[in-house]
Amino acid sequence: MSATKSKPGEGEPAPKKTIIDRIYIFLTSIRFTIFLLSFIAVSSIFGTIIKQHASTEEYLSIYSENTYRIIKFFRLDDAYHSPWFFALIILFLINLILCTMGRFTRFIKTEKVIKLPDENALSNMQMNFHIETKDSKETMSILEKGYKYVHKEAQGFVLERGALSKYGVYMIHVSIIIILIGSFIGLIYGYKGFMILNKGETKGQIIMRGENPKEQPLGFALRCKDFKVSFYPGGEPKDYVSTIEVIEGGKTIFEKNIRVNDPLFYKGIRVYQASYGRTPSFHFNIGGESVTLKERDTYKKDDLIIMVARFESMVHDFGPGVLIAYLDKGEPRTSWFLKDVERLKEKKIQGIHIRLEDIREDFYTGLEVLRDPGVWVVWTGFALILFGLYVNFFVYHRRIFVRQVSHGIMIAGIAMKNKEAFKEEFETLKRKICGNKS
Amino acid sequence: MSIYIFYISLAFYLFSTLFYLLYLVVYRKGVERVGYYSLFAGFSIHLISTLFRYIQAGYTPITNIYESLSFFALAIAGFFLYLKRFYKIEILGCIILPVLSIMLIWASTFPAEIRPLPPVLKSYWLPIHTIFSFVGNAIFFISFFVSILYLVVERGIKKKRVLPFSGRFPSLETLDLINYRCMSYGFPFITVGIITGSIWAGFAWGSYWNWDPKETWSLITWIVYAILLHNRLTIGWRGRKTAYMMIIGFLSILITFLGVNLFIGGLHSYV
Repeated sequence: MSATKSKPGEGEPAPKKTIIDRIYIFLTSIRFTIFLLSFIAVSSIFGTIIKQHASTEEYLSIYSENTYRIIKFFRLDDAYHSPWFFALIILFLINLILCTMGRFTRFIKTEKVIKLPDENALSNMQMNFHIETKDSKETMSILEKGYKYVHKEAQGFVLERGALSKYGVYMIHVSIIIILIGSFIGLIYGYKGFMILNKGETKGQIIMRGENPKEQPLGFALRCKDFKVSFYPGGEPKDYVSTIEVIEGGKTIFEKNIRVNDPLFYKGIRVYQASYGRTPSFHFNIGGESVTLKERDTYKKDDLIIMVARFESMVHDFGPGVLIAYLDKGEPRTSWFLKDVERLKEKKIQGIHIRLEDIREDFYTGLEVLRDPGVWVVWTGFALILFGLYVNFFVYHRRIFVRQVSHGIMIAGIAMKNKEAFKEEFETLKRKICGNKS
Repeated sequence: MSIYIFYISLAFYLFSTLFYLLYLVVYRKGVERVGYYSLFAGFSIHLISTLFRYIQAGYTPITNIYESLSFFALAIAGFFLYLKRFYKIEILGCIILPVLSIMLIWASTFPAEIRPLPPVLKSYWLPIHTIFSFVGNAIFFISFFVSILYLVVERGIKKKRVLPFSGRFPSLETLDLINYRCMSYGFPFITVGIITGSIWAGFAWGSYWNWDPKETWSLITWIVYAILLHNRLTIGWRGRKTAYMMIIGFLSILITFLGVNLFIGGLHSYV
């Protein structure tokens, strides 16, 4: 701290600055803040013009091999999670903490004891007037309505309003620090993945995105009890809702309808409605037995082995059909079953009658699942920054001085910010006080 | 219905533009008054058309390019009228009104029919996030032209060249003061715009910050204005440097608002 206070050329020989002092001064300077912010802003542009998280093939189809090497070297394919970007943010955080602390200690020191200035000083102030009366009671009753006493003495009073605005800057800075810390907590302890659930299906793990997707257990299970989608007359989706049951230890804890903008919260994990789609299911009658198969399912019974190979929603104008693969005397063969063509709905394989009864397309729901323990810290930061912005930009600090003088009372006012508005306020006050007197 | 009221307001804006341009030539107070009153009428009718559309559509009409440009223009007209109560900035009307009119004509080339709202936009955050963002952007739109005017006037003074209308320009001090006022209104507004957007993203997309191009550019914009604010308050930048930063800031807003949608894309693809 001593380094920031030393001012060279102030009479006494300034203490010699060591390298560490110089580094410290630089790190805590506003110029360094501005340098860092500019650097963060300019380098953020890369991530918006270079496609993020794309595959090598995709990059090579857009850029030359040399450009791609540069992109890879600086990690511009994931610019906002690259080590250099992280370092910039950390440096900014350190700088912000040191600057705010330094400023606050200086602020505390300069918060002097409030005194009532003498007559001369008052008449030199931004705004002042005096009234010829010995009785200040009436005047004070007007002033008391909008201002708070901060100092009283025999000769007069000091009143003020909007003193909170002095702390606005610190609130804003502290809330930015809180937001950054919250986002780091999320980066370190959080994860993000997705889950695809068919109607009626239950799953206890999510799939994490990345170069090699892996599964992550949740600690509880989600069951998709129902899924509904509604459309506008024009065909755009209007609303999609999944009824999700949270199951833990074999018991259903609760169920909730989740939709876009309305997620589910449980044990620090949030589940979002992200997407939906359709999966077909095929209803067969195999030798008198009803069997439901999905794509890539296999059915085995005695010598019969069949597998659902492919689904087409339109097979040469004949409607939906499914390609079945089977073994005929050891030879692999395939055959189409078409839902809407009577002749192609049935086939005898290995002497067993197989009939396609129906093809149904069921919805599945795509859920985004994530854990972010830092999110409440970030929300707190947001709340504080809103309050800080209000206090800093829409509240201003002003003081009113009232002093007994030989020929009446002198009233003066001063505002640190927003002088125009204060001038108006003071004029109104003057009119009220003088009007009252006459 | 709302679209016809919109056209009526556009007619008033055009009328106002005409008189402001005439004012530049003849420099009569009366001419400026006509311009001012028709601007006021245009703004009021525009506001009514926006309210009508809100009732008709059942949602805050800031969900596509047409609606956004229209609301942006409304916010600009409103803030200009507000500033005019405090400062003599008639000459600024000669720049802002033509741009405003062009913006509205451009807006009317985009499809204006009321579309059903996609599920992701169905949220209480829609009005809060968009109104704060657009009012902030409108304030910085005005300061962009104030800054350009500042640079023009300053250049004229430096070269000791008498500009054709130099007598009608506000003083450099006034322009700088307006810029500071814009700064101290605009900055909180865009900050609230970004924060409410972030909270909304947290509910809709699952993460309060996704480094989506629109988010990133709004952060870049915020940083530009934050730098400007600190330069002014702690280093003591005034005048020309502030004006340059204001211009850079507004270019960044333009990229955030339009550039990202027209050229980059991303999650935030409605407007």
